Amino acid sequence: MQKTLYLFASGRLRRKDNTICVESDEGTKYFPVVSLRDIFVFGEVDLNKKLLEFMEENEIILHFFGYYGNYVGSFYPREHYNSGYVILRQAEHYLDPARRLELARKFVDGALANILQVLRYYQNRGKELAPYVESITRLAEESLPACGSVEELMAVEGNARGYYYESFNTILEGLPFTITGRSKRPPADPLNALISFGNSLVYAKVLTEIYKTHLDPRIGYLHATNFRRFTLNLDVAEIFKPILADRVLFNLVGKKMVGLEDFERRGGAYLLKERGRRLYVQELEEKLQTTFHHRRLRRNVSYQTLLRLELYKVEKHLMGEQPYEPFVSRW
Amino acid sequence: MAGRPVHVPPVVGSLVNAYVICRRKAWLMYRQISPDEDNVFLHMGRLIQGQSYGRERKEVRLEHLSLDLIRRDDENLIVAEVKKSSRARAAARMQLAFYLYELREMGIEAKGELLFPEERRRERMVLDESLAQQVEHLKESVLMLVLQEQAPPPERTSFCNKCAYTEFCWA
Repeated sequence: MQKTLYLFASGRLRRKDNTICVESDEGTKYFPVVSLRDIFVFGEVDLNKKLLEFMEENEIILHFFGYYGNYVGSFYPREHYNSGYVILRQAEHYLDPARRLELARKFVDGALANILQVLRYYQNRGKELAPYVESITRLAEESLPACGSVEELMAVEGNARGYYYESFNTILEGLPFTITGRSKRPPADPLNALISFGNSLVYAKVLTEIYKTHLDPRIGYLHATNFRRFTLNLDVAEIFKPILADRVLFNLVGKKMVGLEDFERRGGAYLLKERGRRLYVQELEEKLQTTFHHRRLRRNVSYQTLLRLELYKVEKHLMGEQPYEPFVSRW
Repeated sequence: MAGRPVHVPPVVGSLVNAYVICRRKAWLMYRQISPDEDNVFLHMGRLIQGQSYGRERKEVRLEHLSLDLIRRDDENLIVAEVKKSSRARAAARMQLAFYLYELREMGIEAKGELLFPEERRRERMVLDESLAQQVEHLKESVLMLVLQEQAPPPERTSFCNKCAYTEFCWA
């Protein structure tokens, strides 16, 4: 099982013989290269080209995050899974408006279904969420099928998320956190800071998995392709944000693992401090390693594997083999 | 496709092997839809192929053929194919027979040997007429298959378990 290395401390990241070596004030640590899938860099880390070459050889992605926990970019090594056939299919589905819309709709569909699943979970625990569930269900069942363009889909998704984020106040009732609408740059309250942090981790996680498939991360369907930015990971992440990032958030806040003291206020912006970030990634990793029985594969899979399986499903849709149906959590 | 020259990559040994095990695998391989490289069995197979028979010559590329091992005994040229286990023996046999056939087409007479280092077993093989005919037939079937527009749907077999395509097929 390959692992993710999270670097919070500042220092130096380098190749030492055939291992990855992290030198910081806390000491020097070595990580066997074959056991790593990707590295998330949060601290101020020095590195050189020799390291990047080593990363490329071993097919490891580096994701960089800025001081505010914001996503900065990734070192996405040269593609090692190449299939002209798949790339052409991917582009074909992007260029044909009907096919693009079909896929984009599936991503929103999956996102809303998983959002509803999260809300129902808290409904079963006695939270008064009926009005939110109703509004989002209506969007999913009535507005979504009526959308004739990707822009409309985005609007429907935006509306649904509006209701959803408002419901956080009910779910987290009695805790010292409230949310007044989604704000990103900068996050205006601690909850927004947590949402942003979680989402950017999920985006990066999906990107890592895309690297392990034949798909090109630059060609997305819901999020516009502009040939510079990764977009397919944003599409697929829509489905997993509610069941990964948001569930981690509810856990951390609900169990009072993070409190107001884990945030730093800078002008109008709230930032998650290092302790909070460490807790967050710990919870997320735990979630990703959780396994459940997959009926078609006939064995247990982790959420981490599930991300990859979702991409395979997209790939098979593009190949005209099996229409893509997004993963919807059943619990 | 009539009248239009189409570039069709040649059938190669691994494709023949795949075809005997699972037609879907062959179709995917032909389109460079390679299996999951993190698969442990795939790693193991490569390790075994790379580390066994260290003193003998290995990995010879000849046009579209990629031969694991070539060696000469008294009067014969011997081409060997290394496999992790004899589980897919039939497929390994056809792969080797294919190499012998293609070599013969190039004017090179050789004998074959299947090697299962983990099992400490070797099997000799000679390309006789009946085997050559099987190869010819197989080559044709492989081409017919890979030129199909759609991949054959997944079918569960005893090979699915340890196949690096499992997750792709059954996702």
